[in-house]
Amino acid sequence: MQACVSVVDDDALVLRSLDRLLSSAGFAVRTFPSPQAFLAQAGGDPGCVVIDLSMPGLSGLEVQQALARLADARPVVFISGRGDVASSVEAMKAGAVDFLLKPVEGEKLVAAVRSAMEKDRVARVVREELSLIGGRLAELTPREREVLAGVVEGKLNKQIAAELGTAEKTVKVHRARMMRKMGVASLAGLVRAWTAIRDTSAASAP
Amino acid sequence: MDSHSGYERSIRAVSAAGVRTPWLGRLEASWVAPAVMLAVGYYLAARIGFAFTLQPHPISTLWPPNALLMAALLLAPTRAWWLLLAAALPAHLLAELQSGVPTAMVLGWYASNCSEALIGASLVRALVPGTLRLDSFRNAGTFLLCGGLVAPLLSSFLDAALVRLIGWGQGDYLDLVRMRVFSNVLAELTVAPLILTWAAFGVAGLREAPLHRYLEAVALFLGLAAVSLVAFDLPLDNASTAPALFYAPLPFLLWAAVRLGPAGTASAIALVVVLTIWGAVHGLGPFTGGSPQQTARDMQLFLTVVSVPMLLLAVVLEERSRVAHLASEQRLQLTHLSRVAMLGQLAGGIAHELNQPLTVILSNAQAAQRFIASRNVDPDELADILRDIISADQRAGEVIRRLRPLFRRDEAQFEPLDANEVVQEVLGIVRGDLVMRGVEVVTQLAAALPQLEGDRVELQQVMLNLVLNACEAMSAGAGEDRRLTIRTRADEGGVQVSFADRGHGFAAEHYDRLFQPFFTTKAQGLGLGLSISRSIVTAHGGRLWGSSTRGEGASFHIFLPAGRAGAAG
Repeated sequence: MQACVSVVDDDALVLRSLDRLLSSAGFAVRTFPSPQAFLAQAGGDPGCVVIDLSMPGLSGLEVQQALARLADARPVVFISGRGDVASSVEAMKAGAVDFLLKPVEGEKLVAAVRSAMEKDRVARVVREELSLIGGRLAELTPREREVLAGVVEGKLNKQIAAELGTAEKTVKVHRARMMRKMGVASLAGLVRAWTAIRDTSAASAP
Repeated sequence: MDSHSGYERSIRAVSAAGVRTPWLGRLEASWVAPAVMLAVGYYLAARIGFAFTLQPHPISTLWPPNALLMAALLLAPTRAWWLLLAAALPAHLLAELQSGVPTAMVLGWYASNCSEALIGASLVRALVPGTLRLDSFRNAGTFLLCGGLVAPLLSSFLDAALVRLIGWGQGDYLDLVRMRVFSNVLAELTVAPLILTWAAFGVAGLREAPLHRYLEAVALFLGLAAVSLVAFDLPLDNASTAPALFYAPLPFLLWAAVRLGPAGTASAIALVVVLTIWGAVHGLGPFTGGSPQQTARDMQLFLTVVSVPMLLLAVVLEERSRVAHLASEQRLQLTHLSRVAMLGQLAGGIAHELNQPLTVILSNAQAAQRFIASRNVDPDELADILRDIISADQRAGEVIRRLRPLFRRDEAQFEPLDANEVVQEVLGIVRGDLVMRGVEVVTQLAAALPQLEGDRVELQQVMLNLVLNACEAMSAGAGEDRRLTIRTRADEGGVQVSFADRGHGFAAEHYDRLFQPFFTTKAQGLGLGLSISRSIVTAHGGRLWGSSTRGEGASFHIFLPAGRAGAAG
């Protein structure tokens, strides 16, 4: 699926003008005349969102929150007719990529959208890698997992064997199988994968 | 109010082409024309004075040159007085020497005439600095007392003494004084105000006056001339009807005082004076039969007693209407001020409204630039872009066009209005603000409302005020509680417009204070909105009131009468 920019504005003229501007810069653009229409199709598509902060009904900030609930992690670029500090701070805190004032300078919008697209692409790569590691982790047997825990803590096979109450030879077999299942060739690779997955689970835990 | 005669204007104008005279001070070129005008006027006034002389006495029943001279001094800057007095001398000599009076007497009269004008003008100027305007009771009273009474009285002693000294007159010294006092008092009271009032109001007033005012003035003066002719210029057949006839001009003089202002009144008085004296001089009307002295004094007393109260009445009415006008002007300013302050509150919303079309224009134009730069130009796309740019531009123009009347400061102008239309216009003005505040407006507008008569901008101001108050009251609430409901409905001979918010409402004990000036619950507010709104609605013959359940929002209602009922406001 090609990454595209979703533009949300209740003003048809504004919507068309942003569509043209972003299209002229080479982006694939999808337009939505209301926050509701946009949220109805929100999901895991790649790309980013350009949204007006103040629209009747749902405000841009509320759309941002709704996206988060829908686990749609696309970066959001806000545009606004007013430059009040409170709403811009709130938007940036909630993870907006950029906050642009109307009338939006074309170069700035294009630059903001470009960086949002890049952010989305990188995030997707990371997520993919993580889910790959997560999937591999899931394939391990309980015993292999215990071995993995020992290995990443830097314990020797002998120590692991002693803790698990088994032979060092058995641990060696489990360890080799575990390394193969995890798709890593070295201890360093295993530790990197383990750290990545531990960091995300720790980050998403609270 | 800012009217000056050509005379006054030209004498005030400071000319660079001034000439320094050895001992009298600076002679400014702009003083020459008024001085010549004065000389001509003085000569003509003297001729009139001669025509009003009851022979064989050398003293006229009405001697206007002195009054003319005093009025000229009062209108001129003090440093130009010497020139005006000098200009009167040749005119005086020319007029007097024709009548075979000894030169010494002629010069003596010049001295006493000048002294009268100088005494009066100096006293008045000392009490009322600057050019005298007969536009307040104080100024008019000062003039009548100093210029109309004290100056003729004091100068008459000098005049009579000179007459006795030169040996021209026959009578007793005090008789001479008395004759001259009456004659000159009458002239000061009728001729000088005529000049002063015309200088202050006349010229500009004539230019501004509508046609019907001219017709009214013509009718008044014709009527006044007719009754004055009947009363004072017919042979007296039946002496018993005479007293009643004295009052005949009064209704017309009152009419002039009420409707035509000081200048019109002074003119009407002058007409009565001229016709009365003309009759007496020709042996007609009620002032005949006695000795010339007796006749002159009776007539002068009568005319003085009539003209003073009429002139004062006209001045007082004028002063009052000026004060009332000033008050209404201030009310207008206050209304405008509070409107502009309200528009200040709307600035954010207006910026939003303008930013939308500006965004459209900028983004479209930059997209077009990119299309052109990439040599990937679709003519249809370009045409669409231009069309969108044009409509965005028109939209921005519309925002400005809607706001412009609200910034203007005009007198209220009543026109037929549709209440629903005014509501929609107001919503158009606050649209940006409503979006930014996240306030949803629900309108329930009744069809076929009776037509109103009112000032569009002022009623917009009232509704704007109520909408903004409602938004303010709901600013703390959540989405659901930010709903403003606007209803219109026909109601017993008019239209009721209601604004219901879901804010915190107001306490019953605050209700009366809501409409008082400078009462406000807002951090930034003048507290003038509701009080001015109510005065606007009242001026339209309507009512503005509110109701609230504490905690469940407030409603404000406007009732405006239908049709022409509003025109009275």
